[in-house]
Amino acid sequence: MLNINKTIENGKATFALEGRLDTVTAPELEKSLKDSIDGVAELVLDFDKLEYISSAGLRVLLSAQKTMLEKGGMKITNVSEIISEIFEVTGFSEILTVE
Amino acid sequence: MNKNESVNIVLTGRIDSNNAAQVEKDMLSQLEGKSGSPVVLDASGLEYISSAGLRVLLRMKKSNPDMSITGVSSEVYEILDMTGFTEMLNVEKAYRVVSVEGCEEIGRGANGTVYRIDQDNVVKVYKNADALADIQHEREVARIALVLGIPTAISYDVVKVGESYGSVFELLNASSFSKILANEPDKMDWCVKEYVNMLKKIHGTEVPAGKLPDMKETVVSWAKFMQDYLPEKTAKKLLELVNAVPHDDHMIHGDYHTKNIVLQNDEVLIIDMDTLAVGHPIFELASMFNSFMGYSELDHEVIKKFQGFDFETGSTFWHKSLAAYLGTGSETKLTEVENKARIIGYMRMIRRSIRRQGLETEEGRAEIEFQKEKLISLVEKTDTLLFNTSELEIEASAENLSEVQLFIDEHLEKTGCPAKTMMQIGVAVEEIFVNIANYAYAPEIGKATVRVEVEEQPLAVTITFVDHGVPYDPLAKEDPDVTLSAEERKIGGLGVFLVKKTMDDVSYEYNNGKNILKMKKNM
Repeated sequence: MLNINKTIENGKATFALEGRLDTVTAPELEKSLKDSIDGVAELVLDFDKLEYISSAGLRVLLSAQKTMLEKGGMKITNVSEIISEIFEVTGFSEILTVE
Repeated sequence: MNKNESVNIVLTGRIDSNNAAQVEKDMLSQLEGKSGSPVVLDASGLEYISSAGLRVLLRMKKSNPDMSITGVSSEVYEILDMTGFTEMLNVEKAYRVVSVEGCEEIGRGANGTVYRIDQDNVVKVYKNADALADIQHEREVARIALVLGIPTAISYDVVKVGESYGSVFELLNASSFSKILANEPDKMDWCVKEYVNMLKKIHGTEVPAGKLPDMKETVVSWAKFMQDYLPEKTAKKLLELVNAVPHDDHMIHGDYHTKNIVLQNDEVLIIDMDTLAVGHPIFELASMFNSFMGYSELDHEVIKKFQGFDFETGSTFWHKSLAAYLGTGSETKLTEVENKARIIGYMRMIRRSIRRQGLETEEGRAEIEFQKEKLISLVEKTDTLLFNTSELEIEASAENLSEVQLFIDEHLEKTGCPAKTMMQIGVAVEEIFVNIANYAYAPEIGKATVRVEVEEQPLAVTITFVDHGVPYDPLAKEDPDVTLSAEERKIGGLGVFLVKKTMDDVSYEYNNGKNILKMKKNM
């Protein structure tokens, strides 16, 4: 289960994620991003309520990062210790802006 | 006349010096030519016997040594006991007569019905009119169970109820779980918990060899009975399945439904012990399935009559209890075990119906046909009646991922595994399972088996995935370069890399047509 709470204001989009970002739910996030990313210069992914991420989730993050590099910027906020470990192991902490 | 045929002599009223000679004369005439035959003296009408009367009995015993006296009142028994006659004769006391008219029925089992006769006592009335041996058996097995630590009630008296016999138990303020479920639906979860605790206690009790009957022998006899009523292929496989169940020395109750579990004050007791046996738990689950589902599958009113609650309550209770007993919420696992139980359950019901002339009525035939059809299809797709709670066989598809993860988490939670490790294992399980789902059988769908093994000291968990798909070693793939920049990095390829990085040991082999992937995590 993944809940996506989307707010877009003045070219800044915030996606607050709640639940699990896995094989089943990652495509939902991918679609949601694709649908609203036009005209967005700054993308914020709020991980405060995200409990779980697998490689399927990482894939969506990398693809969003690639897109946003051309458009402006992307950052991920409120990352739990458990999820930061996954970022460390996969080198994502080096290529993503994590707060 | 057969010499061994016993002679019945009725004794009535008072026997003393006034009439002893006459009584002796009457008895001798009844025994004429039957010297050596067993004699049964029916004393149910005897009020008093003096020493003159006793001397008559003594003389009688010389010509007919095999003499017993039945229906002896407490007064007469006292005389016989005092004079040492209870040592010489086979004396059977009279049974107290008890009426159950207007009494509340509190339980019902295979062999009898339990009624409350007063505030403190209940009586179990046996169906079989000649039930003294059954009563003796139940007393004996209840005693065995009690000594082994199972909380139960033991009867203290045998009484006559109409033409039947009954055994009396002390049972104060007790209320059966059926009654609780019917009247207080919010106590469902509490009942499930207590019911399953008791079940686990019974199944965890090892019984010394030979103390209790072996349920497997009974079930094998059912399977043999079924040979004439099933297609040859099904019949043969059914017998093989039952024969393959290993001997088990642990106790099973045999009729474990909610009328037989009672709450007495704050204590949970199990009653109706006459079906107690040893055997594999699948035999118990089969009888539980029948009690809550099987007997009322076609006619939902059946369970209402029997248990006092409706079909929905029964089926919810059964599923919750099965989940608690197996320690899993995995529907796939629950269905797997339920299906094994149903095989034995249907077989039992069909045999029962046939023996009760079920084939002679249209209704009976329809029911037997219904159950037979289910039995045939279940036997077809089942390879063993055994079940293993640390193994899950499931269709490999992404939709089933959460069920696989739940199954693994249930095992991890028992070990007190930290959240971080749970997540790492969860991720690793996802990567491997989704790989199988996507590639092993594509474009078809096949099954995967997931096994969890926990080692203590040091605490470690090993998870094994087995599939029968195309040979594929996910570990052979080259690791991605995690030092590249976002622009340079390719999307994907991180899954197996994460498994290798977060697990302590990962191995793959292809053996016997199976891909076997093992991963171990130290905790």
